This record gives sequence, structure tokens and C-alpha cells, in this order.
Amino acid sequence: MNQRDLELLSSYLDGQLTSDAERARLETRLASDRNLRAVLDDLRAARGLLRQLPMRKAPRNFTLTPGMVGRKPPLPRAYPAFRFVTTLATLMLFFTFGLNFLAPQIASPGSGFGMGGGGAPEIYSAQEAPAATEMPAVEAPAAEAPAATEAPAEPSLEMVPIPTQTLSAEESARQAVTPAAKEGEAGDVGAEDQSQVQDVPPPQVETPPPVPITWQVLLAGIALVSAIIMLMMRRLAAERWRRK
Amino acid sequence: MDEQSLIHDAQGGNLDAFNTLILHYQDSVFNTALRILGDDELAADATQEAFLSAFKSISSFRGGSFKAWLMRTVTNACYDELRRQKRRPTTPLEPDTDDGEEMDSPRWLADPNMTPDQKAEADELEHALQHCLNNLPLEFKTVVVMADIQGMDYTEVAVAVRVPLGTIKSRLARARLRLRECLQGFAELLPASFRLEEGSSA
Repeated sequence: MNQRDLELLSSYLDGQLTSDAERARLETRLASDRNLRAVLDDLRAARGLLRQLPMRKAPRNFTLTPGMVGRKPPLPRAYPAFRFVTTLATLMLFFTFGLNFLAPQIASPGSGFGMGGGGAPEIYSAQEAPAATEMPAVEAPAAEAPAATEAPAEPSLEMVPIPTQTLSAEESARQAVTPAAKEGEAGDVGAEDQSQVQDVPPPQVETPPPVPITWQVLLAGIALVSAIIMLMMRRLAAERWRRK
Repeated sequence: MDEQSLIHDAQGGNLDAFNTLILHYQDSVFNTALRILGDDELAADATQEAFLSAFKSISSFRGGSFKAWLMRTVTNACYDELRRQKRRPTTPLEPDTDDGEEMDSPRWLADPNMTPDQKAEADELEHALQHCLNNLPLEFKTVVVMADIQGMDYTEVAVAVRVPLGTIKSRLARARLRLRECLQGFAELLPASFRLEEGSSA
């Protein structure tokens, strides 16, 4: 049995021969060719068995859910507004935290300039200090030498805490410069300055934070309430979506 | 609502309309997958995947036979499933007998009018047919399942498989011949009216 005859027989079986002439020719051959008829019977039997295969019922429904096709439940129109409020309140809250933390340091930059709080002032006082120590050692009377030797120590690390809290930037800078600027006046001047600084008690003034804590609590509350409303909106929308 | 309206609505994103189409076609699609894959679980997975894929690409349906278009989708899902199986072969749950046959017969859709003997016979015949289908090359199996089990005409099968009509005729003829040869080995299971004459088409 050649391939061509096999295809003709199979198509003939299904009534799919392209022309009446082709069908007539095949029927003529079938009438005289027993082998051809046998093949046709076999193909018919095979097709009959396949057609007898039972159609199984689908084991479950294959319907699609919105989640399966990647759809999300439609959210209320007010949802974006609450999202905006939550985001804004949260950002503002963090901003106020940052502001309250940084404000004291920004408000008193002199602490750094005055007494070695930062890098430059340290260099400055380190340069001045030797000059102050040398001058008293050479020119000042021997009796005043101890005071003079103490004076250069003023701008050094011992004095750092006091100006940091009490003096403005200019004042502390001026005091830091004083011993060196008045090199020619001998060490007693330095001692005088020291006694002045030591006599003034450091005022303990606590500046209030730029953003009051009540504001922060308010912002936190707004962010929290808005977030809770958003959450409830999502849940309600999802429930409605499921019921639909 | 008629099929064209449902398709139109589904193309507009109406999931309910598409689900109505699913309910109408799910038995055909599942049976096609079952005969190509020969396994209930895999067939169910392929069916679900096919419907999901069909919904996502329904805008590409340009008319003609919707069943043929769906069959193309399920055929692709079956091919994907078979490729996955090839990459990750699994051991069947049913233990095999010594001669390699599965011990459990496939489940038969229960016909209340059948006697237990008839049911057992039908189980065996279905098993034999599925065994012979499984031995066919994939492209032959796909064509014969669509033409002889689903009853689709040649044009629909050509659309579903995306090959020329002449190729469909050729594949179908060869698939039927191979099935006939395979079924010779199960002659005792075949109904008398379908007994095949030995060696008639050699």
C-alpha cells in the first residue's frame, strides 16, 4: 500500500476527496481491488473505535477568576487621596524628626569655631597656643609665669565644654584668639581672661525644638488613621470583588 | 446569548462572557488534552493553562471557528506540558506490572446502564486505545484526536495545527494506519463489529 493510496482512502472515508472524478476513480479501483477494500475497512474500524472513546466530563470547572487573569479589585475614588495624605504625613513626620535633631547643631556653629569643636578651630588654637606659652616664658616676670602658662591652655581641650554651651561663635572665637592677639602684653592678661571665663557660670538654657512634639504626634496620628482607612478600603473592595 | 456576542464581549475584557464560553467548551478542551497527554492531572493543568492563555490572547481571534482556535491553544499548552515532562521526568504513581503495563486502568465515566462486565470491558478498550495513541508521534496524535475524537473537519484541524490541508490528510491517514496496527495486539478486547482483518493492508 503506497502513501498516496492510503491518503486517498482516508480522505474518501471522511468524504473529503477534492473532486467527484477522483472519488469515481477510487470507487472503480475499490470494486476490483480486494486489498484496497480491506485497508479501507481497517481505517474505518480504527476511526470507529476512536469515535467510541467516551467523552470524559471535565473534572472541575475551568472558569477564570479576576485574580487568575491578573486583575485587581477596583478601589474607591477617594483611595488615591488617602494614599497622598498618608505619604505626605509620613514624609513630614520624618522631616520634623530630622529638623529637631539637626537644629541645635545648626543654631550653634560657634561651638566648633571657638574651642576645638571642629577641625579648623583645633588647628587655630594649636597654632596660637605655642605663641602664648613662649611669650610668658620669656617676657613675663617669674612670679606670673604660672598664670601665663595656664593661659595658653584655655583655648585647648579643657575649655571646650564651656563656650560650646554659653558663647556665641564670635565671642568664643574672640576668646580663642585673645591670648595670641595680645602676645605683647605678657601672660597676666591671659590669666585675667581665664579668671573671667571661669567666673561666669555656664547658663543652662535649653532651646525648644523647632517643631513641637505635639505637631509630630498630630502628623503620626494623621498618617496612621489614613493608613488604616486605606487598608479598610482595600479589604472592602476585595470582598465586594469576591462576591461579584 | 450567541457565541459571536460572547466572543465579542470577551474581547472587550468581559470575563463573565469568556467564562460562559469556557463552560461550553471545557469538556472538549479537557478531552483533547487528555488524549494527547494520556494523564488526567496533566490534562487538567493544560486545560486551565489553555483557557488562561486564550483569554489573554483573545484579541488575536479574527473570526472563523472558535473551537479550532481554542484547540490550537490547548495543543500548545499540551506541547508545553510535554516539554516540561521531558525536562523533569516523573515516576507514575501507578505501579507497573512485570511486562510494563500499568496496573490501574484509567477511570471510566460511569454509564449507569452498563453492567460491571461491560464497564470492565470498556475500561480495557479505552486503556488499549490510549496506549496506542500514546505510541503515536505527537503530530499524528494531535491530528487524529481532533479529527476522529473531537469530530473536527479537515479545515478546522488545519487551522488548529497550523499546517496545510494536504499535511493534515497525510498525517491522519498514517495515524489511522498505525492505530490499526497497534490495535491488532488487542483484538480480543475489540467488539465483534470492529474486529480487524489480520494483515489486510500490508
